[in-house]
Amino acid sequence: MAGSPEAAEEAEAPGREPPAGGAARSGKRAAPSGPGALQPTKLSRAELYKPPTSEELSQLKETEDLFHSSLLRLQIEELLKEVTLKETKKKKIDTFLHEINSLLSTIPETSETELTDQAWLPKGVKVPFLQVPFSVKGKFRFVPPAELKVVGSYLLGTCIKPEINVDVAVTMPREIFQDKDNLNQRYHRKRALYLAHIAQHFSKEKLFGSVKFAYMNSNHLKPILLLRPQGKDEKMVTVRIHACPAPGLFKPSRFYPNKNNVRTAWFMEQNTPKEGATEPPTPHYNNSILCDTVLLSHLHFLSSAATDFPGMKDGLALLKVWLNQRQLSKGLGLFSGFSVSMLVAYLLMTCKIIKMMSGYQVLRSTLQFLATTDLSVTGISLAKDMDSSLPVLDDFHQAFEVVFVDPSGLVNLCADMTASKYHQVQFEAKRSMEILDDRMVDGFQALLMTAKPMLRAFDHVFHLKHVSKLQGTCKKMQLLNELMDWGGNYMAVALPFVVSLLACGLARRALLVPHFLPQIPEWPIDAEPPKHKDVGPLMFGLLFDPEFAASTLEKGPQADHPEALDFRTFWGEKSELRRFQDGSICEAVVWEADTICQKRLIPEQIVRHLLKLHADIPESSICYTGALLESVIRTGQEASGTGEEAMVSVICSYDDLSRKLWNLKELPLTVTAVQGVHPALRYTDVFPPIPMKPIYSSHTRMRTKNLLLPSEEKPCPAYIAPLKIICHMEGSGQWPQDKEAIKRIKAAFHLQLAELLQQQHQLVCRPAVTHTDVYKDGYVFRLQVAYHREPLILKEVVTPEGMLKYQDTEESRQLELETLHLPYLTSSLHGLQQQHPVFGSTCRLAKRWVSAQLLSDSISEECVDLLVAFLFLHPAPFTPPSSPQVGFLRFLDLLATFDWKNNPLIVNLNTGLTDSDCTEIKNKFVAARSRLPVMFIATPKDQWSSMWTQERPSAQILQRLLVLASESLRTLEEQLMDPLHSQDVKMVFRPPLDFYDVLIHLNPNQIPRHLESVDRPLKSFSRGVVKNSTAVKILFPVVDYDPVQCYLQELRDAFSDLALFFYDKHGGEVIAVLWKPLSFQPQPFKVSNVKGRMVTTLNNELVCVPNVEAILEDFEILGEGLVKSVEARTEKWTI
Amino acid sequence: MAAAKERVVGAAPAGYTALAVKFGERQRSPHYLLVKEHQVREGAGTTHPSRRTLFVLNVPPYCSPDSLSRLFSRCGDVQSVDICEKPGPGEKKEKLKSKFFNRKTVTGFHVAYVVFRKPSGVQAAKALSQEGPLLISTESHPVKTGISKWIASYAASVVDQEELKAEVDAYMQDYDKKIAEEEAKAAKEEGVPDEEGWVKVTRKGRKPGLPRTEAANLRVLEKEKQKRARKELLNFYAWQHRETKREHIAQLRKKFEEDKQRIALMRAQRKFRPY
Repeated sequence: MAGSPEAAEEAEAPGREPPAGGAARSGKRAAPSGPGALQPTKLSRAELYKPPTSEELSQLKETEDLFHSSLLRLQIEELLKEVTLKETKKKKIDTFLHEINSLLSTIPETSETELTDQAWLPKGVKVPFLQVPFSVKGKFRFVPPAELKVVGSYLLGTCIKPEINVDVAVTMPREIFQDKDNLNQRYHRKRALYLAHIAQHFSKEKLFGSVKFAYMNSNHLKPILLLRPQGKDEKMVTVRIHACPAPGLFKPSRFYPNKNNVRTAWFMEQNTPKEGATEPPTPHYNNSILCDTVLLSHLHFLSSAATDFPGMKDGLALLKVWLNQRQLSKGLGLFSGFSVSMLVAYLLMTCKIIKMMSGYQVLRSTLQFLATTDLSVTGISLAKDMDSSLPVLDDFHQAFEVVFVDPSGLVNLCADMTASKYHQVQFEAKRSMEILDDRMVDGFQALLMTAKPMLRAFDHVFHLKHVSKLQGTCKKMQLLNELMDWGGNYMAVALPFVVSLLACGLARRALLVPHFLPQIPEWPIDAEPPKHKDVGPLMFGLLFDPEFAASTLEKGPQADHPEALDFRTFWGEKSELRRFQDGSICEAVVWEADTICQKRLIPEQIVRHLLKLHADIPESSICYTGALLESVIRTGQEASGTGEEAMVSVICSYDDLSRKLWNLKELPLTVTAVQGVHPALRYTDVFPPIPMKPIYSSHTRMRTKNLLLPSEEKPCPAYIAPLKIICHMEGSGQWPQDKEAIKRIKAAFHLQLAELLQQQHQLVCRPAVTHTDVYKDGYVFRLQVAYHREPLILKEVVTPEGMLKYQDTEESRQLELETLHLPYLTSSLHGLQQQHPVFGSTCRLAKRWVSAQLLSDSISEECVDLLVAFLFLHPAPFTPPSSPQVGFLRFLDLLATFDWKNNPLIVNLNTGLTDSDCTEIKNKFVAARSRLPVMFIATPKDQWSSMWTQERPSAQILQRLLVLASESLRTLEEQLMDPLHSQDVKMVFRPPLDFYDVLIHLNPNQIPRHLESVDRPLKSFSRGVVKNSTAVKILFPVVDYDPVQCYLQELRDAFSDLALFFYDKHGGEVIAVLWKPLSFQPQPFKVSNVKGRMVTTLNNELVCVPNVEAILEDFEILGEGLVKSVEARTEKWTI
Repeated sequence: MAAAKERVVGAAPAGYTALAVKFGERQRSPHYLLVKEHQVREGAGTTHPSRRTLFVLNVPPYCSPDSLSRLFSRCGDVQSVDICEKPGPGEKKEKLKSKFFNRKTVTGFHVAYVVFRKPSGVQAAKALSQEGPLLISTESHPVKTGISKWIASYAASVVDQEELKAEVDAYMQDYDKKIAEEEAKAAKEEGVPDEEGWVKVTRKGRKPGLPRTEAANLRVLEKEKQKRARKELLNFYAWQHRETKREHIAQLRKKFEEDKQRIALMRAQRKFRPY
């Protein structure tokens, strides 16, 4: 190939493009096929092969080195653009700050009064501090601040949306303070009064949109003043005024973690201190004062770290987004943006991060550090030169649960954090690192774009409704000293103890027991500050280890070991001595649970028991949400199980039958494989079949054929679902190679199977042309014989040249689906259930919901199964669900948020797809989007066709499904998060009916599955069956007879081009009809288009319109005996 | 929804006559059958002879051939009634009508061809529009719908084993005979040249040829391709080296371009708002 690339391009171009090449090409790119859909990119050869500039090369290289991929780099850049503050806004904020500064100096001084004498404060302002006990010594006067400095993230440029906070430190002049102000909250009260005075003056100013108080990080000792600008900028920024003492006011040594600054006598309001009693250390109190003294030095420290380090700014923004998405950044004892900044500075100091790194690398290194370091065991310190007088790390560890010491060596930056919270951060970091290393997952989406709200992240959740009950806990645990340290905040005091109690009790079962506190809201300056009990319900989450979560036994130490006593005190009277199989006699706790669904709730029993025993929290204040939803998949009156056991016994019976089929004698060809295809055989049937025996008197008998028929006079017999099984016969030259003949041979096999099973195993059978029904153990199995070459024979086409070709036909596709793909899917999902024991139940909840919304006929069952399988196989950023409830919530979220238009959903069953396969699927998907179904699901055995979604759902139904899912999710989460009100979770299982045009009400006694409805009917009918699994010699029961389905079939056959029919197949009492608006337009007469229409004249033209009155009457005629009434909602349309 | 304000009952397009038809006495609003004389441009088949055949449109689902025959019997003797889903040439009746296999039932609204014995029946049928609506289900001839129909069809779905077995056996005997004949014929022709001297090579003979299937063709092509690829040297000329480098950068660019497009789209959809 000679010459430059451009020359080559010129030479090639005419041959490749049609004559009007250039114009056509640009035209094509300008007109997209649909809005918001991805187009395959086309680059001209000239653009692709032009020599690279050095700039481009370096950018490509940088992307390779510093980022995961070019897409990640672009994504991160976009995200940063979205969250960072714009320059124009910064200017506005700066002027706002200047105005505040000038206003501050104009505030007048006040005369000196006693601290307790607050009469000088005007009525419009309340002191933002809980003054308990009230009496305290000391004097206060207001003097305008000595200095005003902006501190924190705003100056560093790392403050991000959604809440732009600018921290301003106001230095209180030295004159205000007296000796011993470090004692007994005197400093804190002066600080609060100082802020109150400022607030009172600012509230009169027009400059501010709002002036409010809030607690800094929800810490009751530290109120701050929030200022927001007037007008439309009010939402833009919040200026937070912190008051801090003049430098050098306090001697640092007074605030070492082992020093006391709150006297017991004062706190208990005793007049004279007890003689000889040593005062306990007050580390949290000390820390809260020290924090104020180092605000400025921290700023300097951070800004020196951030110089010449552009990656730090980006990295911090990413880290903050990461924390925000996990709800880890706001509130008492959480990982605030400030501590993250300090952590990055620490990593820089220890050379784990260098200034060359990109934001992505900063994020990665920080997560790596968090994942591998346990700050609750090995604390870290930023202090460089260890002054021997300063406290050592061990002192900090004694006083605090998590230790991260600041550059001054005095302040613990993570003082309020509990160890459990830190472990949660650590867990998240570990999980995130795994996601980043996994090439199959879109790390950007999982890490930074997906919110992890508590309800969707944890398997079980429970609320402590009344926080005030924790006062009793403090008393019971004798936590007076800690109460003093925390200024009476019993919630903060009791929390670490309660959490460690739970963690200890659930040690093997739960991986994580994190707690969540709602943030204390800000309050207007003329209101009293919120009390400790006003924080709202306290929430705990449980993340289970699926292996142990449901075990009924808690085995303790041997009876004669000294630890046995501890075990007994821990578990109380639940602990008893038991002899085990290996002969040992141990302390043990056994929890009562018979069914799998009860076993899943053992953690609830433990939580309730331990909190009652050790923390004095009554059961009534615990609101446990773990299995609230499961009532909708419960069958029968006995409310204990949710069908898992039924499923297992179905599968046992199926296994037995398949063994019998394999060993069947006298069959001309042997059975090579028996494969189940019914959902019950992959654990995902909403209501698994129950063994049944018919009552003869409720049926009509057909003696000659040994079977029963439904009787017209009696209520419809209970629905017995045939469990479909595919029975592959051995291949042989004996099989005919003609499709009609194969059908006959298969029918002959069905007859023979029935005969042999009857002879050799005494099973009652009922053969038919396409299958044989076998009654066994109270179940009815439907055997269908398959021959592996049959689909091929159906596909055979001979071309005119005499060449044999294989072409897919509708018939062959259907057969392949039934005999090849469905058995494979069933066995794969059966396997998935073995790995994830709650897969089945989650799937059943999901399907129940879909059907309750009347959409079960509009989306295939297999499609829902695959969607749920996706949640278990690709849970990032979560862990695979370990309770049906969380699985269901995530299912709704997946439905509501997945972008079906631009992405294929890849379900990697049995990890059959590699990374490159996935990329290929995605690329081909983009290229062929317009020809693919609206919902595209790829699996290893079905990469290109998405066979389970090909016909259903339609675009409109999918849209409806999305709307319903997001609404249901919102409602459900609201209800689950609100423990104080009654929780009616069934609400999301009741469909809105006002949307439909006609409602056909059905007669309940002809609905065979009436008992499966969401709200169990009060009246039930005798359905002509009794539970029995041992009946052998019986007349064959009525199988697969559901009048409602027959009716729906007839309706759809007759009126499918005029209306859509919706029905909840699990006992719905109503069929909802929606007219198709297009077919109601008057249309010109066409011979092929008169079905159900009548001809009439409109503006002197003959047109066809639907004969609605006659059709409505047809609804009743076709459903004679089943239809109770037809309700036409004529308010929405006219006849 | 749109509907004509004043309704002309029984309006019909040119050539057609509208006949009101009701399920029973109780039904208030009738459906309208559109009938006309059956006419086709090509020579009419024997099944639907012209002038004697009435073409009926918009037959309701509960109206079976039997009911139609009964309804029109007052116009003259009805010879046969054919129903199908849509109008079309008279289907060739399958010779082998099986009781169990390939049974297709027409559901929903359908069309019918009513063949009278005499042409006068067609005219009489058209005149029916003057009379009141026709009734499909009467006391003397009730039509089953709803529960009773479904129970009946459930009962009908139960097959008689003996009968089925006999039918299958008969069919398979015929089939085996047919196959045996074909094989005998093929064996006779084996290796015997035809008039022009060509010998047909089949898989059965001593030297079986390649099967003439698409798969086999593809396999051969694939093999050829592999053979060629094995012979080729990839890193022989300097330009080949250059080419691979160029190709690499082009790939990177292409990917970058794709990514940029993806991002632009996501930005448009506000996909980068984390919360």
